[in-house]
Amino acid sequence: MTGRETFHVSVVTPEQAVLETDAVFASFPAHDGEYGVMQGRAPLLCQLGIGVLRVDDGEKQNYLFIDQGFAQMVDNKLTILTEQARKPSEIERAEVEEALRHAQEEPLQGAEHMWADERLVKIRRAKIQLKVTEMDID
Amino acid sequence: MANRRVLVKRRKAVRNIRKITRTMQLIATARFQATFNRALATKPYSEKLGELVSDLSSAAGETQHPLMETPTADKTALVVITSNRGLCGGYNANVLRQAVQHIDSQKDAGKDVDVHMIGKKGVNYFKFLGRPITRGIRDLNDDPQFSEIEPIANELMDQFVNGEISAVHVAYMAFESTSRQSPTVLQILPLAADLGDDAAAEAGGAGTAKEYEFSPEPELLLDRLLPASVRMRLFQCFIEAIVSEHVARMVAMKAATDAANDMIKSLTRQYNRARQTHITMELLDIIGGVNALEG
Repeated sequence: MTGRETFHVSVVTPEQAVLETDAVFASFPAHDGEYGVMQGRAPLLCQLGIGVLRVDDGEKQNYLFIDQGFAQMVDNKLTILTEQARKPSEIERAEVEEALRHAQEEPLQGAEHMWADERLVKIRRAKIQLKVTEMDID
Repeated sequence: MANRRVLVKRRKAVRNIRKITRTMQLIATARFQATFNRALATKPYSEKLGELVSDLSSAAGETQHPLMETPTADKTALVVITSNRGLCGGYNANVLRQAVQHIDSQKDAGKDVDVHMIGKKGVNYFKFLGRPITRGIRDLNDDPQFSEIEPIANELMDQFVNGEISAVHVAYMAFESTSRQSPTVLQILPLAADLGDDAAAEAGGAGTAKEYEFSPEPELLLDRLLPASVRMRLFQCFIEAIVSEHVARMVAMKAATDAANDMIKSLTRQYNRARQTHITMELLDIIGGVNALEG
């Protein structure tokens, strides 16, 4: 720790607690864009989208791929509830590329809203996962 | 003497069986530990989910959600969780008895039941009874992943919201402790309307209504949260059922090993007695012969 003020971050899925750590900064993909959180943030309850969670614990960055869920910030504790959280090392590129190809071949459903179109969601999900694996993580 | 050889053979057979049952007991114990830890690992998620639901429903006020209302369909769904393998005592029989009772009581109430049967044992049993199954799943392995359960839950919720079914129940072996599991029929849909209040009472009546910043509106959040909690509940049923299965197998195999031990003891005793009788008879023969010669 660098002596900066920290807050607690936990990421839980139905199967296990994926991450428990103290952090100085965290950013997560909300349904309407990226949220950044630092120590002492006012209570927040928000819905998550698909994207990358970044947790800076003062020494290194932790990245996790998040597939929807909820974030709760209360009493200096950030809890990310999601049905899927994967570390970049757990993502199988070949599998994701396969899913992407599948999704791209599906016919368009013509929904007006991006989130309503299952196909676009699948494509987005795959693309973000591919991006996560490409990130330079030490 | 033929009798003695038979006894030795039987004892050998029982010893072999004991070897198998003891090994299975050890395996079940190890598996139980692993699945029990998995079950514990699901706790944080479900607790947090409950907390969020209660926080949200107090913020959203009077909540109305399709998952909380009871459609008027004359059909309900029942998910029955049994095992793929046997040798676990009365585990499957108990769950299936509950399931059959539930189905019959629904029928008496004039409702048809869609049976979603998980596990080979249950599928075979219903085939034997000649009862219809809407869907049989035999290929679910020992440690079900959330991603495998999710589609089942989603499908049931879709049917429920579309008004095709009026309720969803799960028949499974609830795990209370290592020494206590009970076959249970749990209703997961419609969601109890006092869901939020219950959770709120549990979360400590401190009444610390947190001033959240919601994004999006509480109603919309709840809309997303409730299906997630239904999925989680079904997933937990599966996890609990697996833990109970391993406990049941552990107990059954321990009983089998003990019974084999007793049997070996009694066979050994019988064998020794037969051997002694044989020796005495031979001695008598010899002594008789000597006496005859001397006489």
